[in-house]
Amino acid sequence: MKSTSFITSVAAAVAVAAVALAGATVASAKTTLEIVKERGHLRCQVGQPSPGFYNLDANGEWYGSDVSICQAVAAAIFGSKKKLEIQSVSSQVRFTALANGESDLLSRTATWTLLRDTQLGLDFTAVNFYDGQGFMVPKDSGITSAHDLKGATVCVLTGTTTELNLADFSRVNNLNIKPVTFEDQNVRNDTYLQGGCDALTNDKSGLASNKAAFPNPGDHIVLPETISKEPLAPAVRQGDAQWFDIVKWTVYALVGAEELGVNKGNVDDMRANSTNASVRRMLGVEGNLHDGLGLSKDWAYNIIKEVGNYGEIYAAYMGSGKLGIGIGRSGSANALWTKGGLMYSPPFR
Amino acid sequence: MSMAKAEKSVTRSAPLTETSFIGWLHKNLFSSWVNAILTFVSLYIIFVVIKSLWIWGVAEAVWVAENRRECFAISKDGACWAGVIIWLENIFYGRYPRDELWRVNLGGLLLILWMAPLWLPRVKDKIFIGLSTVFLYPFLAGYLFAGGDKGIFMQLMVTGAIVCLVGNTVHACIGVFSGGGLPESLLGILGRKDASDANQRNTLLAVLAIAFVLIYALQIGWTVEAVPWTKWGGMFLTLVISGIGITSALPGGIILALGRRSKLPVIRVLSTSFIELFRSVPLITVLFMATTMFPLFMPEGFVLNKLVQVIIAVCLFSACYMAETVRAGLQAIPKGQYEAAHTIGLGYWGMMGLIVMPQALKHMIPNIVGSFIGLLKDTTLVSIIGLFDILGMLRSISQDAPWRGLHKEPLIFGAVLFFIVCFIMSKYSRHLEVKLSAGANR
Repeated sequence: MKSTSFITSVAAAVAVAAVALAGATVASAKTTLEIVKERGHLRCQVGQPSPGFYNLDANGEWYGSDVSICQAVAAAIFGSKKKLEIQSVSSQVRFTALANGESDLLSRTATWTLLRDTQLGLDFTAVNFYDGQGFMVPKDSGITSAHDLKGATVCVLTGTTTELNLADFSRVNNLNIKPVTFEDQNVRNDTYLQGGCDALTNDKSGLASNKAAFPNPGDHIVLPETISKEPLAPAVRQGDAQWFDIVKWTVYALVGAEELGVNKGNVDDMRANSTNASVRRMLGVEGNLHDGLGLSKDWAYNIIKEVGNYGEIYAAYMGSGKLGIGIGRSGSANALWTKGGLMYSPPFR
Repeated sequence: MSMAKAEKSVTRSAPLTETSFIGWLHKNLFSSWVNAILTFVSLYIIFVVIKSLWIWGVAEAVWVAENRRECFAISKDGACWAGVIIWLENIFYGRYPRDELWRVNLGGLLLILWMAPLWLPRVKDKIFIGLSTVFLYPFLAGYLFAGGDKGIFMQLMVTGAIVCLVGNTVHACIGVFSGGGLPESLLGILGRKDASDANQRNTLLAVLAIAFVLIYALQIGWTVEAVPWTKWGGMFLTLVISGIGITSALPGGIILALGRRSKLPVIRVLSTSFIELFRSVPLITVLFMATTMFPLFMPEGFVLNKLVQVIIAVCLFSACYMAETVRAGLQAIPKGQYEAAHTIGLGYWGMMGLIVMPQALKHMIPNIVGSFIGLLKDTTLVSIIGLFDILGMLRSISQDAPWRGLHKEPLIFGAVLFFIVCFIMSKYSRHLEVKLSAGANR
């Protein structure tokens, strides 16, 4: 994404070859859970810093919504979110590093697609963020819909699906959009701000964070249309069903806890006093839900206690929190299903 | 009639154009009206550039702020250095634990202490000091940076390094003040100055052994907390990778260059193909191969540390480039030198080590330092494979929530840092050239 196209193509060639090789070689005698427990910490792979999802702060600590997923899985296994080693790799080698066993879990903005799910030797677990491509325009341009962009020049990053989606959208709607391509998003943003193109296209999460960084954020609006589907989900290596379940149900525990009203602040109280059978089962007071996962009885309690529920994570990094990128949640696909969104956890029973 | 005048002619002062500032101006800047116009245009361009840089970078710049929004609130047209300042620790040390930063600093100071004797006058045995820096310092620094449990091998090497460091420093002090060396002084103190050579040698070895045992016993109790390599970063990581690359490049390059010019076909073919293979592939490809392909060929569960893979790749790559530089130097040495070396009865290694190599390397200094500077800058490619070297850190600033979008200032800061380091290197190489060719200009 932020490299020259030459590097991208070299890397892509290496990565494809590597993934092809890896598909054949990974057949471990030990389960991933055993390996992780033996090592004493989880190796979780994120990408190069990207607003909202994974970032370094000035003290060198990682934060962000995908980092929280890593922390949640670590908490589920070890009872502490600190037993975690974050690795950061570029998008060219993200799948290879998972396939060759360098990391246990890929928690970065990887879009779940059929091709990736079936041909790269990995499995996507559960969606933790629904993204989609959109457009941003200056407010005074008078444009209010993506369909008004007839003949417009649009700034876009090259070599990404974003560029392809833009071409599709333009062709299907007969808009004759002229793309202006960039290698670096900072340069793209500067060009847009200086009037080098009429609109800027990116994933909506990216648009929100770009906009927040502009000198005058109020002068720009994000158009309502979403022209692509980008379901982002943590991925694991294929062939270890138990590990797949652990990661999947960690995401569900975050969503389920929000649904049941359990959060970081009240989780102790809920565990001690709640009369709701679902809450009691989830927090390990009743039943033996943890057996199949191979985790301790209080795994879900640990997740909530250490990291918080989905809503809290969203508010902190995606929403209007101090470190957030300011994407509204209500009415979007990322709202709970009870509020019209797509965030839905299968029952804890 | 004599052509010579008997009396002294009148002393005339130098013409005005050669001495006064006005004269200099007239001669160099305003010698014709075309040049005068050019001078004014250039001055104007310089003025405009410097003025806008000054306004953006200093006059209107914001030095203290909580986040970029605050920078904008204070000044919209100035640089926001506050973000760079808050990130300084990240830029220099990466994610290294903040309580342990002294270890990185100490490692740097020890290197300076170790190398300082090389520049001091009257110190003997500089070659030994140089070699000990290359072979022992990395173990001491490596333990200091990585920490954790010392294996028996590491214990021995750390002890050796400390003994050597103490010895070097004392030796250098004696050298500077009295022109002598540590061995002679020790023998003097122990009253063995007049003993036989064998006796003297045994005494020195005994002292060395006692020092070794003593320091070994002391260092057992010294452990520092383990810091995984994933926490290394920033300028520190850049210097570690390029430092190791630079130190290994020269020996590796010399061996490969000699191999390529060898009369033994197997060695020649192997060296040539090795050099050509690595030279015809870009560094980024070598790095990708080392970090993503290499683990796939290894047995299950064997995960070599990514940093080590990167360092090995950088070393091989730089050695191959260096080999060609050295080979060029070797070819510049006239055949007569080789033949002369043979006639005085030197063998292959004697000829190379004493006659050919010293001359060749002296000629190659500009190219060698050029490669080193290139390598230092090339190592920033590791940010693409996910190591947070200085460039990786500088680029991360623009993604951090409080500083989102701040990308010009960090990169300019990085450029200045790189300029300083590279400029020092090239100045030093110039100095070395002058020093080594002192004989040639006599």
